[in-house]
Amino acid sequence: MSNGEYGFKDRLAPILQRFPAVERPAIHVHFKRKLGWTIAVLILYFVLSNVPLFGLSPDSIDLFAQYRAFFAGASGSLLLLGIGPIVTASIVLQLLVGADIIKLDLSNPRDQAIFQGGQKFLVLVMIVLTTLPQMVGANPYIKPDLGLAASMGVDPSVLWWALFIQIFIGGVLIMFLDEIVSKWGIGSGVGLFIVAGVAQALVTGVFNWQLDQGMPIGIIPRWIWIAQNMGASELLSGEGFRFLLISGGVLALITTIIIFLLVIFFESTRVEIPLAHSAVRGARGKFPVKLIYASVLPMILVRALQANIQMVGMVLARKGNTLLGVYDAASGKPISGLMYYLNPIYSPYDWIPSLVHQNYPDIATWQIAMRLGCDLGLMVIGGMIFAVFWINTTNMGADAVAKQIQRSGMQIPGFRRDPRILERVLERYIPKVTIIGGALVGLLVVVANMLGTIGNASGTGILLAVSITYRLYEDIASEQMMEMHPMIRGLFGKE
Amino acid sequence: MAKKKDSSGGLMSSAGLMRYFDTEETSITISPKTIMIFSVFIGILVIALHIYFKSGTA
Repeated sequence: MSNGEYGFKDRLAPILQRFPAVERPAIHVHFKRKLGWTIAVLILYFVLSNVPLFGLSPDSIDLFAQYRAFFAGASGSLLLLGIGPIVTASIVLQLLVGADIIKLDLSNPRDQAIFQGGQKFLVLVMIVLTTLPQMVGANPYIKPDLGLAASMGVDPSVLWWALFIQIFIGGVLIMFLDEIVSKWGIGSGVGLFIVAGVAQALVTGVFNWQLDQGMPIGIIPRWIWIAQNMGASELLSGEGFRFLLISGGVLALITTIIIFLLVIFFESTRVEIPLAHSAVRGARGKFPVKLIYASVLPMILVRALQANIQMVGMVLARKGNTLLGVYDAASGKPISGLMYYLNPIYSPYDWIPSLVHQNYPDIATWQIAMRLGCDLGLMVIGGMIFAVFWINTTNMGADAVAKQIQRSGMQIPGFRRDPRILERVLERYIPKVTIIGGALVGLLVVVANMLGTIGNASGTGILLAVSITYRLYEDIASEQMMEMHPMIRGLFGKE
Repeated sequence: MAKKKDSSGGLMSSAGLMRYFDTEETSITISPKTIMIFSVFIGILVIALHIYFKSGTA
């Protein structure tokens, strides 16, 4: 390592180490207490996401509307930003550390502290960077309620600052709530909030009886409506069948169930590397390399990248600069230019030519095809790249795993006990599985979005929710195993 | 021995977007209870503002 790099780290370390952190439990936290903390944070999250921002004008626009399902948070509430800043900060960190631009050895405690402080600092930066563009300009997305300012007898700028401070505090609270769950609870706060958001979208998508364009939104009330209002002959025609499939939500229901099953199938598909303890005979284990080894979290990074690109395009278009694309004022969707092609596909209305033409007759079929190609390419290639970065920053690469296995005293039976040998065996699987898994998940997300999902939870949303829940289940299972040990000890007469 | 298997496998399954390490905590630590109480306080404060100034949406 060069001298300059040491200097860089040394200068940063004292600042980054000073960031406040949540206390770490000194002793083992019992499973029931962990569950308690997790539920408490979840309840608090729901409460805060229902507290409306003070001084917000009712005609403010939610920039994140399309990404709500997995960015969590709620429009116009204290938790307006949701996990957006954490996700964006994570992208930057993945690029810097995962791509080895900043060299950090994450098994070294000093570098760990720098990483930990660095990510918090980045989240704070991102909270400001995602809030300000929404609040400045001639006609911002988030604006103070002028009527309220007048009745309070204050300048609107006071309310502007009040809004900014509330949004900022909301963002910081999300960050600390995540830390509480990570240290005192089960899984991670981010995962918990994503699952909560997607679950909410699914439940409303099934049961919501409110009307949208004359039909109930939820699929169960919608089916009842269709059964009451449309005749069998009307539905059995080709046109009626297509109506039932797309507008009736049948396709969305099938897609949702298929993604659900596919994710569980992927999660349980794995290459198992047999391990045996070098000193204790008969003690065996295995190291699983899952098909989606890098988990589905890298997917959220690709999606967030797309969201951020759209945000730049929207803010520019609103300022009158249409270089990157023109946005439809009513739907807030890009309808031409570069931004149109970079906008992900959300539903059948975005790619089936006849459905697209219902709303936007000017968009040619080749443009739709190109947008689909861009989305597919971005998700598949992006999925592979971020999956590779992800295993680098989470110590899941072949070298790091080999060291961990070596430290636990295990070895591959029939091989010499040496981390380099272990690494060579792991190297056969981990990089390939990571890339295949990343591409596969990217493809799955696009196809899921193309077919549409219940409650517009989005393919990414459902994929993340199912995978997080599955891993949460694995976590709970291993937690309970740990709780079992004192009991087993107790059986043998020891305390 | 099953526990050993878990410690190598469990590490990755619980990884969130933010990573927290065991070692080298900062000098400033906050107890989780403080954060929870502070969050509730902020929520109540904002709702109180709504009620006091009758901004209607609360």
